[in-house]
Amino acid sequence: MLSRVMIQIITIRIVTTLHNIFILARYELSRMFLTRRGLLSLLAFALVWFLVLRYAIYGAAQFFMADSPGGLIVSFFNSTIINNLMSWQIPELAVFWVISLYLLPVFCVALTADQTASDRARGTLRLLHLRTTRDGIFFGRFFGQMLVLFVLVLLALLSTLVLILLRDDSLLIPALRLSFILLVNLLLVLLPYTALMAWVSSMARSARQATLYAVIIWIICSLVTGWLSSRFPGLWGLDKVLPGAQVSGLLQLSGWNTLSLAYLPIIQTGVLLFLGRLMMQRSDW
Amino acid sequence: MNLLNCRGLVKKYGSTRALDGIDLTLDAGAPIALIGPNGAGKTTLFSMVCGFLRPSSGEIEVLGSKPGKSALHSRLAALPQDANLDPRFSIGHQLVLFARLQGLSAKQAQLETQRVLEQVELAQTFAMKPEALSHGMRKRVMFAQALMGKPELVLLDEPTAGLDPPNVKAMRNLISEAATEATFIISSHNLDELEKVCSSVVHLEKGKLKGVVSIDQSKSSGYLTLVMAELTAEVEQIQAVLSEIAGVSAVNFNAPNRFLLDYDAASYPQTDQQVMQKISAMGWKYRQVVNGRTLEDQLYF
Repeated sequence: MLSRVMIQIITIRIVTTLHNIFILARYELSRMFLTRRGLLSLLAFALVWFLVLRYAIYGAAQFFMADSPGGLIVSFFNSTIINNLMSWQIPELAVFWVISLYLLPVFCVALTADQTASDRARGTLRLLHLRTTRDGIFFGRFFGQMLVLFVLVLLALLSTLVLILLRDDSLLIPALRLSFILLVNLLLVLLPYTALMAWVSSMARSARQATLYAVIIWIICSLVTGWLSSRFPGLWGLDKVLPGAQVSGLLQLSGWNTLSLAYLPIIQTGVLLFLGRLMMQRSDW
Repeated sequence: MNLLNCRGLVKKYGSTRALDGIDLTLDAGAPIALIGPNGAGKTTLFSMVCGFLRPSSGEIEVLGSKPGKSALHSRLAALPQDANLDPRFSIGHQLVLFARLQGLSAKQAQLETQRVLEQVELAQTFAMKPEALSHGMRKRVMFAQALMGKPELVLLDEPTAGLDPPNVKAMRNLISEAATEATFIISSHNLDELEKVCSSVVHLEKGKLKGVVSIDQSKSSGYLTLVMAELTAEVEQIQAVLSEIAGVSAVNFNAPNRFLLDYDAASYPQTDQQVMQKISAMGWKYRQVVNGRTLEDQLYF
């Protein structure tokens, strides 16, 4: 009887925390789309993306279309990556894929640096903590940032789709199918970067401080793994520690085969969220 | 009901002990004051009750639960000293979020936000950003967020700090009105204010509990407080003259202008009248004679 009551209480608490995670995550969307700073970030993203779309994606796609698999470009670069990209049915998406893999993580780090930092400095976290658990705040903010990134990637993909359809509207169905694959893959790529910023944000009191922590952690991890690799060449997995480690591998895959590397960002995200949660639980506000 | 239970509570910052072995039990009821000089540990104790800080050692229970646990959400509310709302969102937007986190539906949250803002007479600030408000108005908005839902315990950390006299009075009235619904624990330096609102005092000093004092006790007979408008005679002379009154056992001077008379109220119930006659006879200019002693005299003298 007692255990049944306990199970009910625990269930209610879990449901309440999940409900609060959902509310806080949704609130992050309003932070992006209803505040001046959020709208400025959005404008900056839109401007950069317009330049990428107009000059990089459009220009490079024309360049790719002029060649064929095994043609001049491939023989010049002599690369399996270029060969793989040349095999894509829609060159705009192939270029989108390459650019996004390197550009979006930079946006991601800048956008998600302030998950809890400035709220900690201002004392707003205290007001939230009177109403929800530390887990609720931590995961609410993390999923909220992922929601914002989802919207941004979606907008970027939609703009590329428009570009494709302007060239050839018969490509709608294959473009949609490919876009969905890219959307899933890009979100997987961004997961560990967002989790890293959730961790460093839980230690910081401003977005700038969080970014500095991320840079320091990144450099130290690179140095340590580099040193360990040279010292112990047989040590497995050292090149897979940092977010984005799977990117070069991804460029050699296509279609749903790209998910064969999904385990890496998922494990990295799990570890980083564990560290962030630990910090959030143990810190004094 | 047991409101707060602390056993051997210690909070260390490096080698400094902000709280040093606090044993304290408080029950629900009339408002309780938490006083002490700067660095006494008041804010640290508040922060630990709310779950913002973790104890270095010892135990703490609030309304039967550990601080920070979800069982306390909606039951415990607070106005933390340096907590501010997000300047990027409107006040209403943020208060609605708080209400939603407390389990209210979207519509209920909207209504509850309007209710608490009306309660602090700031309904017009719903769509305003926090930066557009004066310091006093911001404090009242922060007080409003503490009244959301039906909290059983409300902690107010320096609710009148930095407020002008009209806002202090407004805040005092708000606390008195709300105190019928919940138990308030109020931390402040303003002893006069606390005396008007609270019925008991928890006194901290250098991280240790000095004692728990009933304010009603200070109003009981046995003491007279004479506040002079002007000291027209030497302090020693005034003390000597007042000591001659039958039943007066001690006259202490508290600068700049206050004399505390300790007397036998049971045997000499007319002492207050005799003091008045003596003041008149000596031609001293006085401001007031109070039956009892001030909280400050009770705690520090």
